[in-house]
Amino acid sequence: MFPSFAKYRQSFLIGLQSNLVYRMNFAVRGFFSLFHLAVVFILWGAAYSHNESIGGFSFGQTLTYFLVMLVMQFFVGAFNEDYQISEEIRSGLINQFILKPINYFSYRFSIFLAARLVTGALILIPLLVAVPLLKDYLTLPTEAWRFLLLAPAMMLSALIQFSIAYCFGMLTFWFLEIQGFVILSMAIESLLGGQMFPLDLLPTWIFNAAKFLPFYYQTYFPTAILTGRIEFAAAIQGFGIQLLWVLLLLAVNQLLWTRGLRRHTAVGG
Amino acid sequence: MTKYFQIWLASARYSITRTLMFRFDFFLWALVELFWMGVNLLLISVIYEHTDSIAGWSKYEMLLLVGTSLLVQRFLMGFFWSSLFEMGRNIKSGAFDFFLAQPGNILFMASTRKLDLDGLCNSLVAMGVVAYAAHRLNLHPSALDVLFYAVMILCGLIIHYSMLVMTISLAFWITSAQGIEGSYFTLAEFSRLPREAFKGIASVLFVWLLPVVVVSNAPAQILLHGFQPAWVLALVAATLAWFATAIFVFHRGLRRYASASS
Repeated sequence: MFPSFAKYRQSFLIGLQSNLVYRMNFAVRGFFSLFHLAVVFILWGAAYSHNESIGGFSFGQTLTYFLVMLVMQFFVGAFNEDYQISEEIRSGLINQFILKPINYFSYRFSIFLAARLVTGALILIPLLVAVPLLKDYLTLPTEAWRFLLLAPAMMLSALIQFSIAYCFGMLTFWFLEIQGFVILSMAIESLLGGQMFPLDLLPTWIFNAAKFLPFYYQTYFPTAILTGRIEFAAAIQGFGIQLLWVLLLLAVNQLLWTRGLRRHTAVGG
Repeated sequence: MTKYFQIWLASARYSITRTLMFRFDFFLWALVELFWMGVNLLLISVIYEHTDSIAGWSKYEMLLLVGTSLLVQRFLMGFFWSSLFEMGRNIKSGAFDFFLAQPGNILFMASTRKLDLDGLCNSLVAMGVVAYAAHRLNLHPSALDVLFYAVMILCGLIIHYSMLVMTISLAFWITSAQGIEGSYFTLAEFSRLPREAFKGIASVLFVWLLPVVVVSNAPAQILLHGFQPAWVLALVAATLAWFATAIFVFHRGLRRYASASS
């Protein structure tokens, strides 16, 4: 157990260093996400100018939702892990992992964690600008259980995010180019993950169906817990479904890896 | 001028042949763009489920605005995106040398190498959205209004192109532009908002300093309320200013090009 932990600790540390190299990119991206917040502020501000509440929530609550959603994306969201995995398969770099006693999923996941540590820390910088500007609008519920459940929900979300990216990376065994699939799924994820609008504004039957999809648990679920858009009983039920999706996705990952390796021709090896 | 047109035609022919070779890719990317357009239209439809007006714009007026903004963006995707996207990668890898060695305007050569037929196909869908919204609003624009609308779309395309060139040119300074091009999409989000929604500092920044709001609002205004000289002049002036700035920034960046990977 411990020797293997040490292996992944090393890859985590290397991941940390290589992600720090690209800190400027992440910082620029974080800075541009402020513009996204501005769009949200202007669009929803205009929509709220004739309404006290939309879907039972005030302007402040909706704005808080989008801010938390943004932070969540930087803390648990997969950025370009799918492309990195795809590139390693295509270029043959993956061959070295087949020959060594290292689990590729764990290796990649440890790098993913390192990357999120860097992006999570970097989003705090634009946040320092945004929060003072928006402080009159921001409002969070105070129930203790929301804060207690937040960390486990985020961890499982991170696992779902990474597993989906990993699945797309694995597709490289079958298709040379995965970018199309990734951007297609990004559209679905941003819609059903609640990045475009709070999912509870959808017609009830679509919202209820979305609860059974993995995208709901990518960013919406932890965000809804923290911002008061979900009640305790529904949160506990959500945890059950989230856990099931984690297990299912891990199984799919394993399946794609073993099936994919059979097709792998070790180019460049 | 005709020489450049011939070069462009040759690139277009090459792109069409390529598309015919990779038909699956074409369908996949057409679907990708269609989905993203759908996501944006769905956002409008969800908000209007809960309200009747956004900054005085009704649902179908807003649809016309979003359709216009998507139309400009589809043209950008169709004509320039792939080439400019690769430019960022090439600056990092050093493969940009290839364009420097060609006997032609560097920016022209680098930004017209590939056409994306999927983007151009989806521009028909965006036109359909605009036409549908105009039909629901019972608008009957004159031929001249439609002509002015087309000119405004062209100006919008040039402005979006300039913004993208400037964003990608950042690669000259920070080497790895991976993900930088995404920031263009963030700015483009503003073009789907009505001008009246911008107040105070946001109005100064996004309406007057950055042209993103004018790009979509000026053509939409022509269809909704007929020809308005103020909007047209503002857009033409913004087009000239932004195109000139983009060329300046690109050439400044080019001086820093080190021709090799970091």
